[in-house]
Amino acid sequence: MQQALMLKYIISFLVLAVSFSGFSQAKDTLTYKSPYGLRLGIDISKPILGMIDSNSSGIEFVADYRISKNWYIAAELGNQKERTVEDYTTSTAKGNFIKIGLNYNAYKNWLDMNNEIYVGMRYGTSLFDQTLDSYRINTGSDYFVSNTTTTPLSSTDLDAHWTEFVLGIKVETFKNLYLGFSFNYKIMLSLKHPQNFKTLYVPGFNRVFDTETGFGFNYTISYTIPFVNK
Amino acid sequence: MNKNILYIFLFAFIFSACEKDDICLSPTTPKLILRFYDTTDQTAIKSVPNLSIWAEGKDTLTTFKNVSLDSVYLPLNTNTSQTVYNFKTSETGNIADNKYNKITINYTTEELFVSRSCGLKSIFNTVTITSDNGWFQSFTPNSITTIDNATSAHVKIYH
Repeated sequence: MQQALMLKYIISFLVLAVSFSGFSQAKDTLTYKSPYGLRLGIDISKPILGMIDSNSSGIEFVADYRISKNWYIAAELGNQKERTVEDYTTSTAKGNFIKIGLNYNAYKNWLDMNNEIYVGMRYGTSLFDQTLDSYRINTGSDYFVSNTTTTPLSSTDLDAHWTEFVLGIKVETFKNLYLGFSFNYKIMLSLKHPQNFKTLYVPGFNRVFDTETGFGFNYTISYTIPFVNK
Repeated sequence: MNKNILYIFLFAFIFSACEKDDICLSPTTPKLILRFYDTTDQTAIKSVPNLSIWAEGKDTLTTFKNVSLDSVYLPLNTNTSQTVYNFKTSETGNIADNKYNKITINYTTEELFVSRSCGLKSIFNTVTITSDNGWFQSFTPNSITTIDNATSAHVKIYH
């Protein structure tokens, strides 16, 4: 439902953006101009991972907007559901996330190329539910085998806030169409845990390590709607 | 400046790549620790010869099968609120000299989360211990508010 609404927003924004961009025609000059505009895309790694691994499913949309020669305002938003299977517990986290920040393109382009090697920072937040699907008491001995409790214990409206450092590349493969890969390292700022359990996975943050850090990557296909060429 | 950022990334990645939360190293469900003392000199530790221990209706604990020890640790059944243990000793090792004692431990369990890899543990509250006064002369205490660690003996047994 929320995803559909989000999609609607993006599409209507897209239509609006196209109508605004009009039919400006660039004249040939000796200096190469590069497009400024809104770039929208999707992370294709999450649906693929979802097909391979039945424990995970999710979708992520990416967007960035060029504000100067090397700087972009960037955002990712999406929805994820992940089942975490450990020796003594099985739990599921699901919810929405959004990340907003800046990218700095450190790549000097040749001629009219529009490729990027960028570093970036994000602020990320997620609103999610966590369910302890089943667990077995760790008795530290196999003399008495403990029963498995399969009554799910749900905790709703948990939230997480984190910062993210991004390193990535974007390559223009066709006119205005980009393939991108990025890797990120996250540090948790605040995280809510369920009562008598722990948040082991946060949508958008992925696995929460003991040190409250995390890793992620995405593989994106995105399209730039050029507003102007500067 | 850009190079520095790359180095920071690399460092962060290398150092956080080795995480230790995959192996359970924290203490989990505590075991009941018994220590054996001499009934005549109640400060002196006295080991039990040829000791075997088993829970009612189960096989003998592999770690406590015909051993001579002055302290033992026993798992409590977390699925129930009672565990019954049998203790067998023999001064000489001959079957004819076998002496038996049975203790009944009643408790309530409380489940506590430990960590990702350790999962949840149980601790035992309002523990009461009764003995059928076989070869145990006496023991102390016969009730414990909570058993939440296995760092020292919970019960002293005099024999």
